[in-house]
Amino acid sequence: MTSRFEPDRRGFLRAAGGLAAVAAMPAALVACGGSSGAGGGGSKTLRLVGVSDQQKALDELTKLYTQAKFTTSYAPTDQVETSLRTQLGAGNAPDVHVVYPGNGSAMSMAQIAQAGLLADLSSQSWTQLIPANFKSAFQVQGKTLIYSAGSSVIGAIYNKKVFQKAGVQPPKTWTELLDVCAKLKKAGVVPIALGAQTAWITQLITYALVPSTVYAKNPQFDSQMQAGSASFAQSGWRDAFTMYLDLQKRGFFNDNPNGTTFEQQTSMVATGKAAMAVQVSAVLPDFRKAASSPDDLGMFPFPGADSADGVWIPAGVVVGLGVSARSRNADAAKAFIEFLGKQENINRWAAAVACIPLHRDASSTIDPVLEPFLPFIEGNKAVPFMDQAWPNAEVQPTHFAVVQELLAGKTTIDKGLAKMDQVYRKKS
Amino acid sequence: MTTRRTARPATTPSPPVKGRRTGFLTPPWWFVAPALLVYAAVVLYPSLSGVMYAFTDWSGIGGKSFNGLANFRALFHDERAVGALKNTLLLTVAIVVVQNGIGLLLALGVHARIRSRTVLRVIFFAPAVVSPVMVAFLWKYVYNPDPHAGLNGLLGAIGLGGLRQDWLGDPSLAVWSVAGMVVWQYAGYSMVIFLAGLEGVPADLHEAAMIDGAGRFQRFRYITWPLLAPALTINVMLSTIGGLKLFDQVYAATGGGPGYASETLSTVLYKQAFVYGKFGYSTAIALVLALFVAAVSLLQIAYLRGREVQA
Amino acid sequence: MTHLRYGVRTFLLELVMVAAGIAFLFPVYALITLSLKSGRQIASAPLSPPTSPTMANFSRAWSAAGLGSALLNSTMITVASLVCLIALGAFAAYFLARCASRLGFGLYVLFLLGIVLPFQLGMIPLFKLVDQLGLLGTYQGMIVFYTGIQLPFTIFLYTGFIRALPRDYANAALIDGATHLQAFTRVVFPLLRPITGTVLILNAVFIWNDFFTPLLYLGGSARETVPVRVFSFVGQYVSDYGLVFAGLVLAALPILVVFLLLQRYVIRGFASGLKG
Repeated sequence: MTSRFEPDRRGFLRAAGGLAAVAAMPAALVACGGSSGAGGGGSKTLRLVGVSDQQKALDELTKLYTQAKFTTSYAPTDQVETSLRTQLGAGNAPDVHVVYPGNGSAMSMAQIAQAGLLADLSSQSWTQLIPANFKSAFQVQGKTLIYSAGSSVIGAIYNKKVFQKAGVQPPKTWTELLDVCAKLKKAGVVPIALGAQTAWITQLITYALVPSTVYAKNPQFDSQMQAGSASFAQSGWRDAFTMYLDLQKRGFFNDNPNGTTFEQQTSMVATGKAAMAVQVSAVLPDFRKAASSPDDLGMFPFPGADSADGVWIPAGVVVGLGVSARSRNADAAKAFIEFLGKQENINRWAAAVACIPLHRDASSTIDPVLEPFLPFIEGNKAVPFMDQAWPNAEVQPTHFAVVQELLAGKTTIDKGLAKMDQVYRKKS
Repeated sequence: MTTRRTARPATTPSPPVKGRRTGFLTPPWWFVAPALLVYAAVVLYPSLSGVMYAFTDWSGIGGKSFNGLANFRALFHDERAVGALKNTLLLTVAIVVVQNGIGLLLALGVHARIRSRTVLRVIFFAPAVVSPVMVAFLWKYVYNPDPHAGLNGLLGAIGLGGLRQDWLGDPSLAVWSVAGMVVWQYAGYSMVIFLAGLEGVPADLHEAAMIDGAGRFQRFRYITWPLLAPALTINVMLSTIGGLKLFDQVYAATGGGPGYASETLSTVLYKQAFVYGKFGYSTAIALVLALFVAAVSLLQIAYLRGREVQA
Repeated sequence: MTHLRYGVRTFLLELVMVAAGIAFLFPVYALITLSLKSGRQIASAPLSPPTSPTMANFSRAWSAAGLGSALLNSTMITVASLVCLIALGAFAAYFLARCASRLGFGLYVLFLLGIVLPFQLGMIPLFKLVDQLGLLGTYQGMIVFYTGIQLPFTIFLYTGFIRALPRDYANAALIDGATHLQAFTRVVFPLLRPITGTVLILNAVFIWNDFFTPLLYLGGSARETVPVRVFSFVGQYVSDYGLVFAGLVLAALPILVVFLLLQRYVIRGFASGLKG
């Protein structure tokens, strides 16, 4: 049906004016918006997408690098994963983007490499510096596909004042640890703060124990798992879960860990309500910000064995960067990675995220609270975070859920391990 | 509104109308065309092309191959999806009933001639303005299990210490705690829609009824309530769909935990697509969820529209 | 009710409503309290009143997140999307509410389908489309996106209210010889003022707060919106919540002010309508 009368111009414009204005906008905006591409003077513009944790380091390093311009974007892990996988899925990858080392998560090196989306970095000289026990985190079939500046460790972050007041020292063995916790409890503080409401916190105690209960006794565990000749259920994982729940049974955790968040856990240790928390060294800045003085906090390896010799620790390669295999600026992107691989830049990145540099020289500095961990790393008694060797992205979230259910008394160790084995065996 | 004045257009009188008697009263099709065009480009076309992934084993990146109905078969044997469906339904019912109940009471309250009504309207609506993710973050403090903090502290202070709970950590309570948070955030949202309905109730109807001696409740029951029917339809449908698709709040507050205790269909489908890298399977869940929500909404529309007509 | 005197009943109601108001004020209180504290104060007493409030978070959030330009981007995108939504939505809803044919109902259901569809379904094809059209990192890409994605909701709100509106006014205008366009813009649209206010504010809240879409389509460009800039402070491990909350306070203020102005306008429109 069409109108029978000539439309009233003013009435129409009042109603549809906005529309007309918007319809006119594209042309105007396209003219002034958009990136200048490879325009000015041969220097390319690289698109870089990272997680918030990388921003501090990359802000500094992209400013220092003069061979290319950057458009950068940072966001929390979950959102970056979602956004990046959408971009990769639609065939529009950023030139340089965040990649998690090893395998085991949706944005991990092995999972993206499977789809052929990561460029080979093997020809760069810094790749020669990768320590032997970290190779699996950086390489697939001998090709290096990810850059990372170093590693962080899991251990106990503790409040020195609380330890002093209760008259205890950092323990060297599991028995000593139980003893220290009992004394702390008697002194009226929560020995170990546990914020298991925040999912990733659940895994930390298991990860702290498993190097001693599994890998110290059987360094081949990962390859046996891959070959199908080992299982979670028939391994030291059972001991680790038993010890985890033993800490709960003895009342060494705060009440209701499943309702307690990471932020609350941090605050409990920083303010002295709790004595320690098992944590990744990367969160030290958070604890320090919350404490009355940053020097109140120290860190020690969480001992998962009854003899000090049998204690191993987890040391994971920190989240890194990869170059998109489909990038039109692949050469410029690789050149930037080469720049990041120089020793002074590894040092800069490591200092910004408080991690242990991939390779050290005289100018490398290390956060003094991490010193108790260095002998383990140098003595080859450090293993990557467990998920970095898991074959699909579902095992890690399953581990989170199993721990929460164990803490809530909703499942048993047998069932939990069986569940993890079942998910581990799933295809892809 | 200056209805009377604008109702008389300035144009010259028309020649006699031809054609069917009332046909010319229907607006022309081009009223809907631009909207349809944009909607088709942004929603219909992409969603239709996306449906294809439900029949593949695609991880979300790299190659894919068609696997027929395998994803759907897997879905009906997935116990976590079934648990999530149960949680989703519980959450939806709780949210629809409580949120709209409170929203209506708030709307009636601030529609009355109280002095603080302008300020109160803004205050009640305020939670809906803050992003759901940050609201969830705030409520984690409220739900702190520490007996001296947050809600537990408040309960203790008013002598109800016996009601203290581990709100988000207790698997049997987590879903309800999330529902409470959502209701609190969106009761003001329902209020705004009810208010728009109340503003449309002519005041002279109330005056006439008062002169006829109708009481407060009678006036509500026979005048206000029937005229609120469109607002009620909108509120019930929006909260139902919102409940069935609830994602941000659950994901930010509990991540589906403890264990899988508060998993909803949306959190499951999100995790499958972007955490586990099973885009094909996730699309199958999305498709089933969409069909389910569509069916529920159509039933609701049929019922509520019937009610509107009766009123 | 509007014509009751302010009596004891009204006073009691006022008391109850104010009490409810205090309970609802919590988020604003919490947001502001947290935004005024340093990391240490947040850790030791997150929700108690700030003892030594600091404005440092605000100035840092403003400069570190580049909130000035982000506010401009958010405003441009939100306002333009709202104009499109109201123009396209009101016209379409009027047609759908008044068209008695089966086609009309079919179209209505087709639009409602848009509220029901999970966003994941069309996410990747839509991203490809936006990319091919060269609209990544532009305002107009976002405006078209929000218009399309929020049209079902807008049409749903409008249609419900137009259906409840008497047809007589518009019909009288049409019989008097007005075109449909005139009848709609001059007669019907002014009557839709209360629901237009609702459409405006509810869509504004959604568009203003949306985080994921602008991250996907604008991330890295000069057109990033407020939430994208604010949430870049949230890391997996280390987060600066004082900063995040300060950013959020700055981000939430404009919407609250708009709502305050808008709902006054809606009430005034109603009151003057009664007299005129």
